[in-house]
Amino acid sequence: MSEDDHQRAERLIVANQVEGLSASDQEWLNRHLERCARCASRADSTEQALRSLRSVSVHVGPGLIRGTRLRVYARALELRERRTQMTMLWVSCALSWLLGALSAPFVWRAFAWLGERFRMPAIAWQLGFTLWWALPAVAVAVVLVMRRTQAERGNESLK
Amino acid sequence: MNSTAYLFVNSMEPETQALARGLRRRDPDLLDRLIEQYHYRLFRYLLYLTGSREAAEDFFQETWVRVIDRGHQYNGKFKFETWLFTIARNLVTDFQRRKKSLNALFDPDKGEPMPQLEAAHSPSPADLAAAHEESDRVAGALSRLSAAYREVLLLRFQEELSLEEIAAVVAAPLSTVKSRLYRGLSELREMLERGTA
Repeated sequence: MSEDDHQRAERLIVANQVEGLSASDQEWLNRHLERCARCASRADSTEQALRSLRSVSVHVGPGLIRGTRLRVYARALELRERRTQMTMLWVSCALSWLLGALSAPFVWRAFAWLGERFRMPAIAWQLGFTLWWALPAVAVAVVLVMRRTQAERGNESLK
Repeated sequence: MNSTAYLFVNSMEPETQALARGLRRRDPDLLDRLIEQYHYRLFRYLLYLTGSREAAEDFFQETWVRVIDRGHQYNGKFKFETWLFTIARNLVTDFQRRKKSLNALFDPDKGEPMPQLEAAHSPSPADLAAAHEESDRVAGALSRLSAAYREVLLLRFQEELSLEEIAAVVAAPLSTVKSRLYRGLSELREMLERGTA
């Protein structure tokens, strides 16, 4: 047996555990191990190392599991509540937009009348109308930014 | 996620799809069952990944909170444990990155062995002194192994993940995973043979 054979056997012993062997490699390895005590011993010690690795146990404290469950449950409730709030926010937003769209012609006339009544330049009352129109969207954007900032702070504090 | 991750769409898909739906709903009962089912494996992985019981406990809780936060991202294409281990590992690596020691942790060439890996054993078979001794011996050997090797060995031989799943968890090419497994297993065997642990 050449040194190359032993090196091949060594490689196949590990490969057998890591990813398995082809039938021909397995057959070659079995034949080699029958004839080579040194490589057979290496194969045994590899098996033994893996048995030992699999036998290692760890202790998980019941307090850790209980605490985790409570924390996860609280988080689930918090996220559900947040989801409900967000749904309400979007519904309000949609209603507000609908109302705004329906009332826009009347509000436009009201702004025009006010502009004429107080002798304002057209651009001033038109700007006022635009602000009125954009107000709900601005309010929602502010709420969303505030929520995001709060969430990021919450994440940071968890770290 | 690594492209190899897409290779292992498995036969458990209907089960994982149901799991994915439950996670999207943030079903607390489902989370409870998952904690019950996977707590041991997750904690064991974190313990050997961090080398510290205290850190493992912190990351354990954080991982489950992340599971509920990101549950909608689980698409059921992978086994749940693969996704769980990926979340846990990302939390640990993010933490280590913030501490600017990521390279030292996960580069097998630069990596320093974890000094404080404890020999952890179950309290119930405390009378089995021989088992404890073996447990200590392996824990000692693992603690001397590079973190990158230790991680893939644990995922392969304790968690019994496939090579493709391990590649997805550690975000490394399949060839790298195999190479780490080959070297890691050889080193572990030599350490145990020499009895240096």
